[in-house]
Order: sequence, then C-alpha cells, then structure tokens
Amino acid sequence: MKFQIKRLLSQILIFFSANLGAFGLKTGFCYPFFYCHSCPASTSACPLKAIENSVYNVKDNGIAWKLLFYPILILGFFGALTGRAICGWACPIGLLQRGTGKIARKLKKYPVIRKLGQHKIEPRLRYIKYFVFIILVVITSALIGFMFTDICPIGFLTGTIPTLILYPGKFMPNPFFWVALVIFILFLVLIFTVERGWCRYFCPIGALLAPFNKISILHISVDTEKCIHCNACSEVCPMSIDVPNMKRDLECILCGKCINVCPKSCITFERK
Amino acid sequence: MKKMIVIQISALLLISGGLGGMFLFTDVYEEVQSNIVLILCLSCMKLEVNTIKEFTFETANDEPHPDFVLDNLTKGPVFLHYSEKACPGCDIMYPIIKQFFNVEFEKNEMFYEMVNYENSSVSYIYTNIDYCSEEMRDSLSIYDKDHVHGLPMFSVVTLGYDRGIIRPYYTSVYGTLGFDNDEERISLLTELMRESIDMYNQNLEGYNPDQQ
Repeated sequence: MKFQIKRLLSQILIFFSANLGAFGLKTGFCYPFFYCHSCPASTSACPLKAIENSVYNVKDNGIAWKLLFYPILILGFFGALTGRAICGWACPIGLLQRGTGKIARKLKKYPVIRKLGQHKIEPRLRYIKYFVFIILVVITSALIGFMFTDICPIGFLTGTIPTLILYPGKFMPNPFFWVALVIFILFLVLIFTVERGWCRYFCPIGALLAPFNKISILHISVDTEKCIHCNACSEVCPMSIDVPNMKRDLECILCGKCINVCPKSCITFERK
Repeated sequence: MKKMIVIQISALLLISGGLGGMFLFTDVYEEVQSNIVLILCLSCMKLEVNTIKEFTFETANDEPHPDFVLDNLTKGPVFLHYSEKACPGCDIMYPIIKQFFNVEFEKNEMFYEMVNYENSSVSYIYTNIDYCSEEMRDSLSIYDKDHVHGLPMFSVVTLGYDRGIIRPYYTSVYGTLGFDNDEERISLLTELMRESIDMYNQNLEGYNPDQQ
C-alpha cells in the first residue's frame, strides 16, 4: 500500500473515531488535535477549551492547574513521541486541508498567489500561531473573559454548522456568530489559497505541538551528503519548508511527501 | 546523540508520569467529561436557543424530579439557575438574575434562598456546575427540556393539572434568552415567573406530594 494512502486512511479513521459521540461515546479525554466538543458527534473535548476553562477570569476564579496541565500533557505525550505528526496524520482539519491543498497548489500558477507564498515576510507570519495561542487562548480568557472558542473557525465548521443543520429552527445566532462567520470565511479563503494555511499561520494547537518537533523520537532526517539539491522535496512540501536544510523543523508535520519524491532516497523517518 | 536520547526519555517519562498521575489521583477525566463534553457553553457554539417557554410535566430524560426540588415545591415555585465558570453567556445573565431576585451571592458557590417575588415565595437555587454536587449537576439533564446540553439554563418548576392529578410542571429557557438587551430579558423572566406563580396558586390546593 502506498505511503500516502496509509496516511489518508489514518486521517479518515481518526476522523471517524473523533465522532463516535454519535453512537453515545462521550469521553473525558481531550483531543490531541483540533476538533470541537460542540460538534454533536464529538467524542472528546477540545484541548483549547480545557486551557481556557483553567485560566478563565483568573482574578476571580484562580487557576485550575489540573485542567491546565491535562490537555498540555496529552498533547505533550503525542508530541514527545511523534512531534507534529498529529497534524499530518490525525487532525481532521489537516484532512480537510489535504483536500483544499490541491486547489491551493493549482492556484500557485498565478503569479500573485505564488509571490504571496514567497514574500520575505512569509516565514515571520508563522509566528502568528504562537501569538494566537498566548493572546487569544490564554491572556484574553484570563483577563477579560473573552475566549478563542467563541470565535473559533474550527468550532464554527465542526460545531455550529452541524448543529444548525441537525436541529433546524431550534437555534439562532448569538453575537459571536457573525464574527465567527467572517473568520470562518477568511479561514476558507486561506486554506483554498495557501496550502495548509491554517496549520502554517494560525493553528494554536500546532503552536503547542511545534516545540516537540525539536525533541520528538520520530522525526524526518535528511542525509545532506547524499542530497543532490534537486529541491523536489521542498516543491512538494505542504508546509513550504526548505527540506534539504531543515533540522527538526518546527513546521514539519511528518507527512512524508518529501520522502516519496526524493530521487536519491536521502530523506527518511528516523526514530531516535 | 546520547544527550538527545536522555532528553527524549526524560520528557516522555515526565509527561507519561504526569498524565498517569492525573488519571489516578485527580478527577480531571470526570471533570472534562461532565463539564466540557456533556454540557456545552452555548457561546462556544456561537448560538442561542430559540426560547419556547411552554410548561410541560414530563421531565427531559423521564427521570423523576429530584428531592431537593420536590421538597421546595411545597413552599412555592422553584427557580433553578444553572451556570458554569468559563461561559460568557453565564457572565451576562449572572448580574441580571441577581438583580431580578434581589439576591447576593458568589458566582463560584452554590446558593439557595427563599425569595419574595411580587409577594409570592419562590425558591431560588443557583448551581455552578464547576462547583456543585453530582445530584445538582445531574438535575440539569432532568430539566434540559429542549435537549440542548448547553449553559446557561434557567428552569422554573411549578404545579399544573395533568389528567386528574396535580403534578410538578416545568419549563426551561437557555442562554441569554434570545435577546440582546437586559430590559427584554427581564421582561421575559417576569412573564415566566408570573405565569408559574399563577399556575402554582391555582393548583396548590389539590397538590399532594405523596402522589408523585
């Protein structure tokens, strides 16, 4: 079986396992990826909501330490083992972007889109996700009671839209709905124009998992002596990483596309 | 290389140990399950529930009314206020309810008081699901009339006539009650309370708690 097919099967399988709530399975785990507990079929909790709950209005409520460490340790467990492989192999939003990525790749033939991706500011935009996590998930929840989940585009896609479809007439929009709708439309534009745009620039869970790439047991390694610098790997990388020069890159989602295209087989998964 | 292996093993042991310890020695699993997965904060869904304030006698999950409600029902209608810690909708409604019933209490504590509402006694019971007993938390699903599993939720239990028997009747409203201003919210609550007090007064005489 081809490697990328295995990855697709893994993504589909995990998508279904994330939705076993439809059959009554509602657990107390946090997902180690981005998925919303307000999805009518959700099995577990969004890790961001647990973090937000732990620090919400810290002045009045204090910090619920166990609720803060619980999702971080779950993400840390998978992160320490496989780094951001969760993004490439498990996350349902990664699966969605796998589909939209094909369109984004085709759009690259237009110079404007191509230039956007190669602009010198682009690598710096990747830091946005760390700010999203620190400011919108932690600081605003702690200090002003505004939570990222209130405007989260993933929550809108996996929670709000299915709820409105499943229960027509039962619900109506609240004030956050319209803001979330605008952000959701921007999210769609982003993922259709930039391959893995959400993972690259905005995903706060990607921001939590990224540092684990530096120490994860599983990672991608490049044999620079064998490399002929054909750049086929960088061309195919959905995260636009300079693969021949990467060393435990924070952005690598271990999708393995670079391994598939390397003509000299000098890129491999390594377990140490 | 050896240094990296030491770091990896240490990190994995530390994380696994921490996680295992949390599962073994804390109730975090139950807390996430009952407070995040099973009961949603409506603002997370970016939705409000369309308010339908019709009273009904069948509880939402066919469970009997809890004892603490039945005990208080002999004194007057019971107003149940369900809230949680991290919930913007709950934060909006919290001061409105305090003003409406003229009560003073802390958001993160359970609270009960017999209040005087327009010269009638009403049992006011505040439940924050992050700081309450299991019985109180479970009562939420009993009164979740529209199967929303969302907070905030307000339930009023009163008395009504059902095929020859006077029984507890209840209704529940959700979120910020579907309005974006306090006047309309208070107006709906007033309407709800007046109706429940009228029903209670009309049916009290025939009410036999032992028949339930």
